Parts: sequence; structure tokens; C-alpha cells
Amino acid sequence: MSLVRCAVVLLLMAAAHTAVAQSRPELHTFITCPIYRDTDAGRKSGCWLAEDPQGVRYDVTLGPVKPQVGHLALIEGVFSSEPNSACGGRVLEPVRVAVLEESCERRIIPADNYPGRPFKSPPEMLAPSDQPRSLPPPPYTEKSFSIYFEYERDFLVYQYAELILEKIVLYAKASQAKRVQVEGFAATEPLVVHGRTLREPLTLAKARAEMVAEALRRLGVPDASISLTWHGAPRKTLDLEGGKLPEPSKRRVVVTVTP
Amino acid sequence: MAKRRACSWVKVLAVCCLWGCATNSPRDAVPAPRALAPAEAKISDRYWRAGAAYSFPERLSYPTDTGVITTLHTPGAFETTGHPFFTPLGENGRACITCHQPADGMSLSARTAQEVWDKLGPTDPLFAAGDGSNCPSLPQRERASHSLLLERGLFRIARPWPPRDHEGQPIEPELDIELVSDPTGCNADLMFGMSSPTPAISVFRRPRPVANLKFATSMGFSFDPKDGLPLEIDRESGVPTSGNLLADDRERTLLGQARDALLTHTDHHGALPSAELQRIIAFESQIYTAVSRHVQAGALDDGGASGGPDALARAPAGKLQSTKSHPIWGEFSAWAAAPSTSDADPQRAFRESVARGAAIFTGRQFLVSDSAGITDVGFGNPVRNSCAFCHNMLHVGMDVAPGQVDLGTTNLPHANPLPELPLFRLTCRPGARAHPHLGRVVLTHDPGYALTTGKCIDIGKITAQSLRGIAARPPYFVNGSASTLAEVIAFYDKRYEMKLSDQEKLDLQHLLEVL
Repeated sequence: MSLVRCAVVLLLMAAAHTAVAQSRPELHTFITCPIYRDTDAGRKSGCWLAEDPQGVRYDVTLGPVKPQVGHLALIEGVFSSEPNSACGGRVLEPVRVAVLEESCERRIIPADNYPGRPFKSPPEMLAPSDQPRSLPPPPYTEKSFSIYFEYERDFLVYQYAELILEKIVLYAKASQAKRVQVEGFAATEPLVVHGRTLREPLTLAKARAEMVAEALRRLGVPDASISLTWHGAPRKTLDLEGGKLPEPSKRRVVVTVTP
Repeated sequence: MAKRRACSWVKVLAVCCLWGCATNSPRDAVPAPRALAPAEAKISDRYWRAGAAYSFPERLSYPTDTGVITTLHTPGAFETTGHPFFTPLGENGRACITCHQPADGMSLSARTAQEVWDKLGPTDPLFAAGDGSNCPSLPQRERASHSLLLERGLFRIARPWPPRDHEGQPIEPELDIELVSDPTGCNADLMFGMSSPTPAISVFRRPRPVANLKFATSMGFSFDPKDGLPLEIDRESGVPTSGNLLADDRERTLLGQARDALLTHTDHHGALPSAELQRIIAFESQIYTAVSRHVQAGALDDGGASGGPDALARAPAGKLQSTKSHPIWGEFSAWAAAPSTSDADPQRAFRESVARGAAIFTGRQFLVSDSAGITDVGFGNPVRNSCAFCHNMLHVGMDVAPGQVDLGTTNLPHANPLPELPLFRLTCRPGARAHPHLGRVVLTHDPGYALTTGKCIDIGKITAQSLRGIAARPPYFVNGSASTLAEVIAFYDKRYEMKLSDQEKLDLQHLLEVL
């Protein structure tokens, strides 16, 4: 490759990187003592608010996992264009919340005329067991699925993980999978949040992989077809299932089904 | 319709008459429609003794404080002689029927225990030393040695510690258990206690009803949101299990439960032939129990309602309620505007109260807080919802997902005062995830599900049970800490700061009385 062509390629790559960086929304990460606003707008309707160290209040209600009053929470999200009118805080969406073990003040506040967020059923929900399932149609090629986890957790979250697990199982069944590889990842590289260093242990990568493997076994994937690996310091992803959040995307399990 | 109802009553009366002609057997106990004076019932009319020769009818009814409990055996009548559910198989003279009495909705009330003690004495197998006394090492003829069974309807459940998995292999627990106090003495006992040659934690629990089990074994969904995993597979049968059978989920199939109960409750050692185990399971699986008549509401399948065991037997199992489209306790929604008749106003008022109770059950929202199993699985703590959030299975009010939840019935600070029960201090080991709401040190009268899993997050979790026939089996909660249905409602009202009005409490109580 000539020097000129090399230079052109590098320039193009740099331009592409800049474009991605410009289009990528800024991730807002902080640790906070969450606040529950009791808007009383029906079941599961309350607002979850989180104040950053500057005292700015954010609405983190739209995360798949909600905070717990009295426990610190790690908030990772990007600014949304949605107005603050529902709960009284700048909306983070997508956003992920991780409940930490450390205690903090229990903060529950009244509605103060905020309407809250009336619960909406997720667009896709696990069907009851007695309903027949449709197998995905061919062609069957090697296919990967990602399941994301909260910080320091190997817990498979309801109304999220079970849908992906079912898709994996149906695809493995339909494709008569010879191999189902389960790769666990943990964010072992340090993440500094306002002076506090967060780092997941490598054992968590293994625990996540084992959790997913156990789930697959319970759903009928033959044990002999499942292989496990685990790694630290994973690369970031920006896929939709990860909530398009780069740092939380490191905490994942990737299942690769090989027909 | 009216003609059909009249025909039904003719049949009932005819059956009553037939049963009334028999001698002192449980068959005598079918009440006339207005015979609702349980205090007058003789123990011989109510208590099915192990090994006695009885005819078990298709429908068997007994008075309760507020109505009639009816148990339906769907295949019809049969003779109990030689049936393993009714026959003492172990060394202590008990059969399954000893602690699962039809008059108590196939559970056992404290009142029945007291009546058996008073009329039949301490040598009745009900008071077997192993679990029918506060501790086997106590003098067995003394009433005080059986105080927990007599006063709260509690049986001793000795769980091995460290726990063992379903294969019998030891589990390394995440927590250490210390005894704070134990008026029974059993946890400090040299032979039966925590430091005995076979270390065990003795907790004291109410017997769960052996009826309506198609609901307890049903699996509405394949995933357990509380454990974050699909339903556990039974190694023996290779099929998923509901996780809704026992208070601490120590057995997950009817077969496993039967084996465990034969060993721990009837002192049966060795293997019961498979055919006999299957007869037990077949009987249990075809028994439905529910309140069929209420002293104020009248027949519970009247006026558009569909209470009672027959409708329960026909109902599909494992269905999730929906407050909007098919709410739980829709069996009584037709009573929301009960028809008025000049001579039945009290009945009308009561029926409307029941319908209001059903509406409160699904619609009256409050902040569910600090309840491990609910508020730590992603919904948030607190989360606004109603009674039907957890009691969500149509027709019975169990949890469609496995129902292990810490409502605070055994853990301090929420548990009702229970000075007569053992109190334990549980300390989570370093590295273990703490109990999500109580931290790393928890005081409890019963660690519940943690005695099965060894996990801190499971301390005090108790499996929700069917609410059908509940009026027939006081006292309530796993440890009998609520003597009446009113006390159950009072517990929830205080626990979750529901701020129920007196009328709302009464409506909920009336609902529970007709289930």
C-alpha cells in the first residue's frame, strides 16, 4: 500500500470515528441515593429520581431495573429529548440502574402534581407455558445473542432476559444446534465514577456464563451441546439489546448457536 | 335456574339424611343448611382417625365459624380401608389424614388440635413426639409440651443444617445461624438441636392444605422472576416444577412431598411401594376444598357467583389474573349489585361486601416495600400494586410464579410478636449477597426458604399458599401468628401502611370468608 493510500485510509477512519463520536450520545454516569416519587398513577407507576453530585435531578424510571430506596445506585444513561413533565427530572433514556449494597437515606416524596408514568406492558412478553411456540424459520446459520447484566450482578432480569433465552432455545431447537457456546464477560477494567473505582471480578464473568447455561439447560438445551468460556476486559458494544450504552454493554453474556 | 338450584338442594338434603342415618363417623358431620354452630360439633364428627374404616363421600361438608367448608373428591365416594392416605404407615400411628382434616379444609386448625387433646388425650397420634410436640425430649403427656400445636396449630419442622440439595448433597451456606432464644428448648437440645449429632434447625409451621393441588403444581410461565432462572427441573421426572408446594420449597413434587411427609410426619422408614405413593398422589390430586356456603351470603354458587369446590375443580390452573380483563375473585363479581328481595337484605348487603372485597383485592393499591422476592427483582422498592400483585393465580390466589416472598411474617421487625417461638440471628458471610432489605444480620423466627438454599437473600421467604377454604383453617401465616382473618388483614394494613378503612377491612374479611 502506498503512503498516500495509507494516509487516505487513515483520514477516512479518523473521520468515521469522529462521526461516530459525534453521533454517540454522552453517557452520564453517577452514584446516587435514589428517590421514589409516589405519583399513585396505577400499578408500578411511581417515578424514580436520581440526583447527580451537582444536584441535578434525573428521571431514571425507564430503566429495565428500578432502584431501591435506602440503597445507593449506579446510574448510567444518556439524555433524552423527552420533557421533564412526567416525574420532575431530566429524563435519561436509555438508562441502566444497578442497586449497590451500601445503605443510604430512604427517600420517598409525594407526587407534587407530577403525573408519573402509568405502567405499560412491555411490547413483548413471555407467553404462558401452555401456549404453543413457533420455531424460527430457516436458513439456520451461526447466530449470536447477547444478554446484559447490571453491575456486579449475575441475575437474569424478568421481562427482559427470559425473552432472549427463549429465542435462543427456539433457535437452537429449530436449527438442531450442534454447539451452544456461552461466553461470560465482566467489566474487570476499572471504571472511575466521581473518585470511586468500580471493577467487576473475573469470577463474575464465570458466574454469568454459568447462570445463562443453567437457564438454557432448564429450558431443554442438551447439556452436551453447551460449552462455557469467560473473559474480563471485554470490548464495548452498541447494539440495541445493550441499551446502546457502551459501558454497561461490557457486562454481558454472548450465546452463539452453531447449527 | 331456580329449579336446578332447588333440585340441588333436594339432593343435598337427601344426602344429609342418608349420612345422618349412619353412626358416629365423619359422614355424620354434614350440616343441615342452617346448622352452623361449630361449637356444638362433636370431635368424633369432625376428626378422621388414622386407620379407621370410613366411607369418603364425593362431597363432604363441615361447619366453620362462618359457613360450611366442602371437600369434593371428583372420582366419587370410596372406602378408606387400606388406602395409604388414611392408613398408619409409620411407627407413630399417624396417617396423612391425621393432619389434613376435611373439616379444616384439608389442613389442621388449632381448634381441632385442642378438641382432640380434650377428647382423645395426649396419646392420640396427632401429638406424636417427633413433630406434634415442641420437642421430642419433653415429657409427652404434658399439655405444655404440645403448646405450639394446641395454641397455634404448629408442627415442628426440623431442617438439616447445613442444608442439603435435592440430591441430598450438602450446600455450603452463605450464612451462619445462632440461637437467640428458644422457649421450646429444641434448638439447644443435645439430641435434636443445632449442635446435635445430626444438626437441625427446628422451626414451627402450619400444615399446608392437601387440596386444590392442581393449582399448586401448575406452571403458568416457564420463568421464575424471583430466582432469575427458568423453573427448576425435577431430576427424577425430568420435568419442570412449580416451586409452590411447601413453605420453604424443600420438596418440589407431590412424590417428593409424600416421601418427606411419610418420613418426618408419620415416622415411616424405608421405601413405600410406588403403587402406594401413587395412590396417595392420585387422591391428593382429585381433592378440591372451598367454602360452599356462608352463614350470611347463603350458597356461594347462587346469584351469579361461582364459589365452592365444584367450580374450582372445573377451573383451569396456573392462569394469571388481569385486573382489567379477568380479575382474581371474579367468582363473586356478580354480587356487586346483588338483587334485592324484601326478606334478604342482610344477605344482599353481605354479598355486595364480598364483591367490594374482591375489588379491593385487585384494585386497592399501596406501596409494596421491603419484601424480598418482589422488591429486589427489578420492580423497584417500593413498588405500587395491590394484593393481586403476589396473589395472582386465578381461583386460588397463589403466585403464578413460584411464591417465595419475605412478607415479614417471620422476620423482625415486621413479624407479629411471637415470644413462644425460637428466635435466630442469621449473619451473612463475607462475600455473600446480603438480604436486600434487612442487611447482613437478620433476626427471624423462621429462615424459611434460606433453610433450603442457604442464601441470605432468601431469609424469611415463605411460599404463598392457596386462599381457598382459608376460613376453615385458622390460625394463619406460616407460624400461626394471626389468629383470625381480621388479624391477617390487620397485619398487611400495618406492614404496608395500607390505611384501610374499617369498611375496607370488613369487605376483605368477608371475601376471605367465602373463598
